[in-house]
Amino acid sequence: MNAFAIALDSIWRHRLRSVLTALGVVIGVFAVVTLTSLGASVRSYVQGQFAHVGATIVTVSPANPGSGANKHPRFAGAPGGAPSTLTVADAQALAAAPHAHIQRVSAVADIPLTLGTSPAASSGVAVSGVQGPFFKIEQIPFLHGRFDGSGVVLGYGAAHTLFPHVANAMGRSVYVGTHAFRVVGILKKGSGIAALQSNREVFLPIGTGLKLAGLSTVAEIVVQANSTQNVNAAATAVTQVMTARHPSKNFSITKESQLLSTVTSTVSTITTFLAGLAAISLLVGGIGIMNIMLVTVTERFREIGIRKAMGARDGDILVQFVAESVLLALLGGAVGVGLSAIASSIVAHLAGFPGGLTVSAVVLALVFSILVGGVFGVLPAMRAARLMPVDALRTE
Amino acid sequence: MSQARTAAESSAPVISVSTLTKIYGQGEVKVTALDGVSVEIPRGQMVALMGPSGSGKSTLMQVLGLLDRPTSGSYRLNGQDLSRVSSRTMAELRGRRIAFVFQGIHLLPRLSALHNVELPMVYARVPAAERRQRATDALNRVGVGALVHRMPNQLSGGQAQRVAIARAVAPGPDLLLADEPTGALDRASGREVLGVFQSLNQSMGLTIVMVTHDPVVGRHAERIIEMEDGRFLRDYAVDDGERIWAHQEVSA
Repeated sequence: MNAFAIALDSIWRHRLRSVLTALGVVIGVFAVVTLTSLGASVRSYVQGQFAHVGATIVTVSPANPGSGANKHPRFAGAPGGAPSTLTVADAQALAAAPHAHIQRVSAVADIPLTLGTSPAASSGVAVSGVQGPFFKIEQIPFLHGRFDGSGVVLGYGAAHTLFPHVANAMGRSVYVGTHAFRVVGILKKGSGIAALQSNREVFLPIGTGLKLAGLSTVAEIVVQANSTQNVNAAATAVTQVMTARHPSKNFSITKESQLLSTVTSTVSTITTFLAGLAAISLLVGGIGIMNIMLVTVTERFREIGIRKAMGARDGDILVQFVAESVLLALLGGAVGVGLSAIASSIVAHLAGFPGGLTVSAVVLALVFSILVGGVFGVLPAMRAARLMPVDALRTE
Repeated sequence: MSQARTAAESSAPVISVSTLTKIYGQGEVKVTALDGVSVEIPRGQMVALMGPSGSGKSTLMQVLGLLDRPTSGSYRLNGQDLSRVSSRTMAELRGRRIAFVFQGIHLLPRLSALHNVELPMVYARVPAAERRQRATDALNRVGVGALVHRMPNQLSGGQAQRVAIARAVAPGPDLLLADEPTGALDRASGREVLGVFQSLNQSMGLTIVMVTHDPVVGRHAERIIEMEDGRFLRDYAVDDGERIWAHQEVSA
């Protein structure tokens, strides 16, 4: 016959009302826990991806002299801001530079030509010009063949787009503009966001590509440091070589690790913002609880009167009703956590990254729902506790 | 449960009130329900409080039962002045030293007879085993020991009122207040319930104040107080029930 037994009894007696009342908290907790857990999943997934691919990569990209622009063109979208002055010769100079920390170098160019399986057809597949080390730097293994400078290499997805009914497209022809090339290599299907782009691309030897397109500059130069510890040293070395060749400093150097911290902090900010918005619905849920508890108190004046006549102190009545609203909120919170476990595992499954709830989000949400139940339960409970027994008994 | 009393306390009347007033509302709609009532009730007395409705009987009972506060006047229980006690102290006296039996019975519908009887002792923090024992004893004493596990809706009116009496006496109060305890019962059940009050008064020496309209009920008492318009009209001791009955007929 303690306060929680009374509370459970009362909640069970008004099942439908309890469910509807707790719904606000269910939705609030569900939203907060799901969003923060998904945010954490995305963040750790991104970190994992970068850890095994990008941590050693330094990218040289064009920039307006002195603008300090630090945009990464492959993520910043179209080659917009600065006209490129980077050339294949720059890449060769970097590769030839006597710096132990620079392990591999490849220039990368976007080739603005159509690609198809006949001279007239266009498949919409993008063409890039690269150098041999590119695939080692980006850590994309070959399924068939290799990049030997005599033909094109297809990304796994691009191979299926171009030759949907062919098991192995090796040796087939594709047309870049009007020029035919033999397929000399097919890449393995990469997993993760870093491989999304290479999956859909077709790679030409950069010299051939630039000649066909009538270009002389490249979009960027990717450089691989010989270890994660030496990325900064490698970046310094790259800067020295490039500054010697471009005294106007019309280039910028980006470490992928910088990009990683930018991406993760952006994900964190968005998560926090969304969770904050979701928390507002918890507040609304709390107000719903307060509303129903006021109704409950009014309905139970007689019970309150009897209990007070039997010696219940104000505190006993207060505890009884706060216990009820806390329990209601806590049950709502538990259901919300359960739903969000289901939802985030479904979303994670669909999006292809590891799901699961963040322990801290669950604990926080449950603590928060207890608080909501407590805070919004106090006012109605005080109303009950302060009743004079005679006034409570008079209403029948 | 009942605290150890000093010699002075036990010699004092259970109730001693003087110039008690209770005014409801304010200004134009002010109603004086109690208009300067003074009375002493010694230990062990059984008092019938009579009078027409609206005469202030129930208001007096509510004030004596600490269910309501008087507007002015002093109230001593066993010599202890209760005029300025906190609502917490009032709550702690309620149900423990002053017990109440209502016309409307007022059992909690979700609790069994036994749990209803235990309720005041739950709030008094009596240990569970002692609580159970005293509740069972009290139910046996009022003759419903066989119904301990019944829910209130499985009890007849007379049985329910006897459970309510057990609930009132189980903590061992100094004073039992009953506001028309037979008002909602048929004649036979009413007579049984009155018998219970009488035996509690005689065998345990329990002080009882009972409101009633019914002169037949009134003749079970040893003292009758008649009220009208918030004042005492008559206050007299009797030792022969038949005489009161006759007296009542004369004054009616």
